[in-house]
Amino acid sequence: MNKEKIVIDSGLSSFFSLSEILKYKSLLNNLAKRDFIVRYKQAFAGIMWALIKPLISILVFGYISSKINSAESTALNFLYVASAMLLWQLFSSVFNDVSNSIVSNANLFSKVYFPKIIIPLSTILVCLVDFLISLIILIVLFIVSGQVVHWQIVLAPLFVVLTVINGLGLGLYFATINVKFRDIKFIVPVVLQFGMYVSPVIFNTRYYLDRLPEWLHWLFCLNPMVGAIDGFKYCLFGGEAIYNWTYFVLSIVVSFIFLFIGIKYFYKFERSFVDYI
Amino acid sequence: MASNVAIKVEGLSKQYILNKAGVSKSDTLYGSMMSGLRNIKNIATKKEREEFWALNDVSFDINQGDRVGIIGRNGAGKSTLLKILSRITPPTAGKIEYYGRMASLLEVGTGFHGDLTGRENIYLNGSILGMSKQEIDKKFDEIVAFSEIEKFLDTPVKRYSSGMYVRLAFAVAAHLDSDILIVDEVLAVGDAAFQKKCLGKMNDISSNEGRTILFVSHQMNTLQALCNKGMVLHKGQVSLNVSSADVAIKHYMQLANQVARSAVADRIDRVGEGKIKVTNISFFHSAQATEELITGQHIEIHVSYECKANYVGNHVNVALAIYGDDGVLYTVLNSENTGMTYQSVNGNGIFICTINKLPLMEGSYFINVSITESGITQDWVQEAVFVNVIAGDFYGTGKINPSSHKSILIENSWSKK
Repeated sequence: MNKEKIVIDSGLSSFFSLSEILKYKSLLNNLAKRDFIVRYKQAFAGIMWALIKPLISILVFGYISSKINSAESTALNFLYVASAMLLWQLFSSVFNDVSNSIVSNANLFSKVYFPKIIIPLSTILVCLVDFLISLIILIVLFIVSGQVVHWQIVLAPLFVVLTVINGLGLGLYFATINVKFRDIKFIVPVVLQFGMYVSPVIFNTRYYLDRLPEWLHWLFCLNPMVGAIDGFKYCLFGGEAIYNWTYFVLSIVVSFIFLFIGIKYFYKFERSFVDYI
Repeated sequence: MASNVAIKVEGLSKQYILNKAGVSKSDTLYGSMMSGLRNIKNIATKKEREEFWALNDVSFDINQGDRVGIIGRNGAGKSTLLKILSRITPPTAGKIEYYGRMASLLEVGTGFHGDLTGRENIYLNGSILGMSKQEIDKKFDEIVAFSEIEKFLDTPVKRYSSGMYVRLAFAVAAHLDSDILIVDEVLAVGDAAFQKKCLGKMNDISSNEGRTILFVSHQMNTLQALCNKGMVLHKGQVSLNVSSADVAIKHYMQLANQVARSAVADRIDRVGEGKIKVTNISFFHSAQATEELITGQHIEIHVSYECKANYVGNHVNVALAIYGDDGVLYTVLNSENTGMTYQSVNGNGIFICTINKLPLMEGSYFINVSITESGITQDWVQEAVFVNVIAGDFYGTGKINPSSHKSILIENSWSKK
């Protein structure tokens, strides 16, 4: 018999398998497509919301930033805030949507088998599409302000990926807890709201660190979004975006530790999700 | 021949932990922390928990190309078995080996989204069932033709009738290339003609293409039509291993009868003089015993009774009180009120209550039974029988009242002046 033999046993944890994910590639696409179509269906402004939402935040916080931080020009302040805000919103939507993805798709995996990691992965695709659309804002700001583009810009996608890794790592961990404790859907928005103010979104890392006592610096940089946002700003504006390379690398290391923990935790309980949902 | 075995199940068990107090206190972080504290204080929380073996040491082999009906009462473990076979939930112990691709149809239209069109849902549902885009492309026309919804392909499925919805959903699943197909009573919906079409398709799949089918249904006639083999589960264990379908159905009927009878007759928590006693309550639809009722169905409730020797009862009144599983009284069927009091009742026999159109909506119901003679209670058994009602077409219009408004259905008509 040349058919694949499949064994189902009582082992609880399962393992990350890229080949299995590739086998379910079309499910990944179709789930993402569903979420994307449904999200903007029956909304008058439709896909424009992907622009409006970040635009409002950028206008508000860009204004605040340029009023408080007079060291830079208004245009540059807006550009800094815009680039950081877009990345932060990508992180926050990935984190939030991944956390809720397992619970909100319970009706799928309680009826059919497929690798459950497909659900958070498809969520990420939708967030990325929104992010790409919102990049229009940044491009327009660049053109209007006449800001020069550096060669490092080719590295920018790496930091978009790092942002997704941050959201995914934390999201998978919280999604797993969410299966049993629905408190998560209240906790995540609080974490995100607080998190924005301790990340270099409204002001640069330098602005924060200059005002924080020395011993708090490393704590500030344990935030994995510090590395992603600073790296992204470095790619766009060059120069001094990265305050301290040690802290920068530390933050990136934290990102990967979070991803590792998130994946590990998710796969530890993945098989028994159905029994607790 | 060993290589002919399609599915091999060995010592399969599944344990669930039930929390006696209904909703677990540890379902919130706070509750979990508090129960953690209680554990530290050494106040046992074990008492609140109860182990329940949904499946207990189940072993069987299924040969390739067989169409096996899995039969059992509610709670026998059928659904758990299907869920483990389709890899939805892991077993607590034991092992399953199978060859090739398995597709499970535990629900029609898994993942169907009301806002998506028929076309979009075919791709979504197909990919959830494990089909690649190319596969769906190849089968697309066949699926559409089978489901008979060509005209509505680009309409959101929320505007579909329930019949169209089911047809489309089944069509996708039926065209899935799998070596093993698992089907859970999805055929209970849809009109008779389409049901026939589905059965034909499933027969086709297994006899012409040599695929193995596992099928669960309460409808013995459907099982008989589709399956060549059957196995019976009872209380989480194999009561009858894979045999011919007829033998399995016979075995199941005996078992069901036994359980139902012992349930009422053996009850000791009954009130009354006991000169007449209820020995059994069963439900019949078109002269066939049935365990699950369908809204709008013509049914008979058979109340079997037994009298003490030399007893003759006059002015005997039988009453059935129907309660929802939430304890709400829905109605009382009282023979006296319909003008029927039984005279010279003796020996044993059956009181029959006929309901032309069952007015109960989808859900579970308890029935209390009482027999009185000239106003004196002879036998009164609370929660004598438990019955499930499946949603059905009460008004004959294809529309079903939403189950969130559980109530008694009443015939009515509308006009305008």
